[in-house]
Amino acid sequence: MNVLKYAAETFLFVPFAAIVINNVFSKKMMEKCFHLLTGAVALSQIFATLFCIYSMDARGMSRFEFFMLEELYENDREFFCLTPVTLIFLLCIGIVAFVSVMVAKKTIDAKKTSYVNLLMTLIIGMNGMVMVNDFFSLYVFLDVVGLSSFVLIAMFRSRKSLEGSIKYIIISELATIFILTGLAFLFMQTGSLDYMDLNSSLLQNSSEPQTMLLSLSLILILSGFFVKAGAVPFHSWLPDAHQSADTSISILLSGIVIKIAGIYGIYVLTDLFSGVKAIQTALAAIGILSIVAGALLALCQSHFKRMIAYSSVSQMGYILLALSTGTTLGVVAAVAHVFSHALFKSTLFVNAAAIHEQAGTLEMDEMGGLEHRMPVTSFSSVIAFLSTAGIPPLTGFWSKLLIILALWTAGNPVLAGVALCASIFTSAYFLRMQKKVFFGKTPEHLASVREVSGSIKIIEIILTAITTLIGILFPLVLIFLQSRGIL
Amino acid sequence: MNTILSISLACLLVFCILSIMSHSLLKSAIFLALASAMLGVLMYMMGAVWAAVIEVSACSGLVTVIFISAISLSNIKKDDIHKQYEDKKRMRWFPITMIVGGILLIVIALAKDFTLTSALQQTTDHFKEVFWNTRQVDIMGQIVTILIGGIAVFVLFREEQENK
Repeated sequence: MNVLKYAAETFLFVPFAAIVINNVFSKKMMEKCFHLLTGAVALSQIFATLFCIYSMDARGMSRFEFFMLEELYENDREFFCLTPVTLIFLLCIGIVAFVSVMVAKKTIDAKKTSYVNLLMTLIIGMNGMVMVNDFFSLYVFLDVVGLSSFVLIAMFRSRKSLEGSIKYIIISELATIFILTGLAFLFMQTGSLDYMDLNSSLLQNSSEPQTMLLSLSLILILSGFFVKAGAVPFHSWLPDAHQSADTSISILLSGIVIKIAGIYGIYVLTDLFSGVKAIQTALAAIGILSIVAGALLALCQSHFKRMIAYSSVSQMGYILLALSTGTTLGVVAAVAHVFSHALFKSTLFVNAAAIHEQAGTLEMDEMGGLEHRMPVTSFSSVIAFLSTAGIPPLTGFWSKLLIILALWTAGNPVLAGVALCASIFTSAYFLRMQKKVFFGKTPEHLASVREVSGSIKIIEIILTAITTLIGILFPLVLIFLQSRGIL
Repeated sequence: MNTILSISLACLLVFCILSIMSHSLLKSAIFLALASAMLGVLMYMMGAVWAAVIEVSACSGLVTVIFISAISLSNIKKDDIHKQYEDKKRMRWFPITMIVGGILLIVIALAKDFTLTSALQQTTDHFKEVFWNTRQVDIMGQIVTILIGGIAVFVLFREEQENK
């Protein structure tokens, strides 16, 4: 049990240690090896998560609660908890952070030590959010995530990045106020924000909120998390923030931040109030709206990163739709799509970094014919696009299949049909992107473009391999879930 | 009791509006600190003694110091900000809306008798019990938040000045 506890503690202690190391040694030295330090933290998170998954499964544990710094306080209350769902989120954080670091090595020229500090605080915030046992603690770490993201977007001080960051912080803080007010109302009703206390209260078993104050509380909390997840119609901050930030930061924002700050919060809420039909209806409505509107808006974009940002809005809709079922299969489908989205969206942003690095532009109207000049980028982009569109046997196919199955078995065949048909829109905007960027005639100013080298190329290959391999091996995951009685 | 609450709420509203509408960043930061102090008074009056202490010391004190450091590092001339405000022709209806909204909130708050649950009444327990034994994680999160504030000042202002 001790080894598992130590592994779990690394999720917060290792990033803290990295901040200390980053600021203790000389700035010149740290700027030279910033990617080694941050890469090591990300890898440690990936391996610690895999160890925790293995260890908990071997012991037949479905949740592991633990203390930190227990020598310093007199209480028997566990502050942190690991469950299969939180472990998948932690794994995604590790993978996306690693991808971001590999891209940052190429794209970030200045302020490398500050990038390390902020990436570490962001990781602490996200890890804290998914591990805590209390809604107020989740809010505190949510604020850490929001503030770190704001500074990461703004840190290069270009006019666009400052504009994007200001938009982000204003809308994000508004969402935070909603959530805090909602939590205050919830606290007034229940007297506690601990998950266990909320779970054991009578609220969970009722099909509708018993008081006006509780209804208001749920509306405020849910709206706040919708903003954080970038769901339509709360998405206005997302494309600007993603487009204006450095690509290594966009990977973090799209790959993981919106999922942890938004989707994870919604997951906790649906888990605690699983019986409330109004929440499920709201999730289904916002989910469908996000899928369709996000895809249509992506279809109209001419900027590569902006298109991917709108694609994220659309994909968040699928996750919301899965959570709206309120079933175990729905949660499994949502978590599977969180994982596959982290993979294919990271790949697409790495492609964006590669194209920007070599072609110097991300305006799709100015590009064309890069297929033969950048074969690795082109191939990985096709794999990511096929995975996003849900083409077998890639990871995106399985997660979308699970979502449709979850909707069907929950008695929502219409929603399942709409989700299935919306994949056509996904294919449409990605085919348009492929045609404009990789196919056709190469413009003269791109005649000298060659394939990107170094860390970006390596990470493109790794992500493509993982997307394909996990897709092929996914039936084994389904068999595993079936053997554990989850499916 | 209600008189002090009403005065504090009114002052909180006034200081918040002044903080948003002020032409000077420095004055804005000071008004924000005063608003935070008023919030501390409200917390104290409602029985959240330790929360009030932290609100006044951290939010009103420490955060103001960080704000003033950032403002002094940013080195923006007051006239420039004033000119930008004039150029934008700020929305004059905004403060009126805020005042009306604030007064409405105060009326609702005073009209409704918020009864404290048993859990709320227990919050005046021993400081260590509340802030460390039961809310340890939040304290850790707050420490990280303050750390980000420091990093933000350094990244957005100090590094830029060093480059110049």
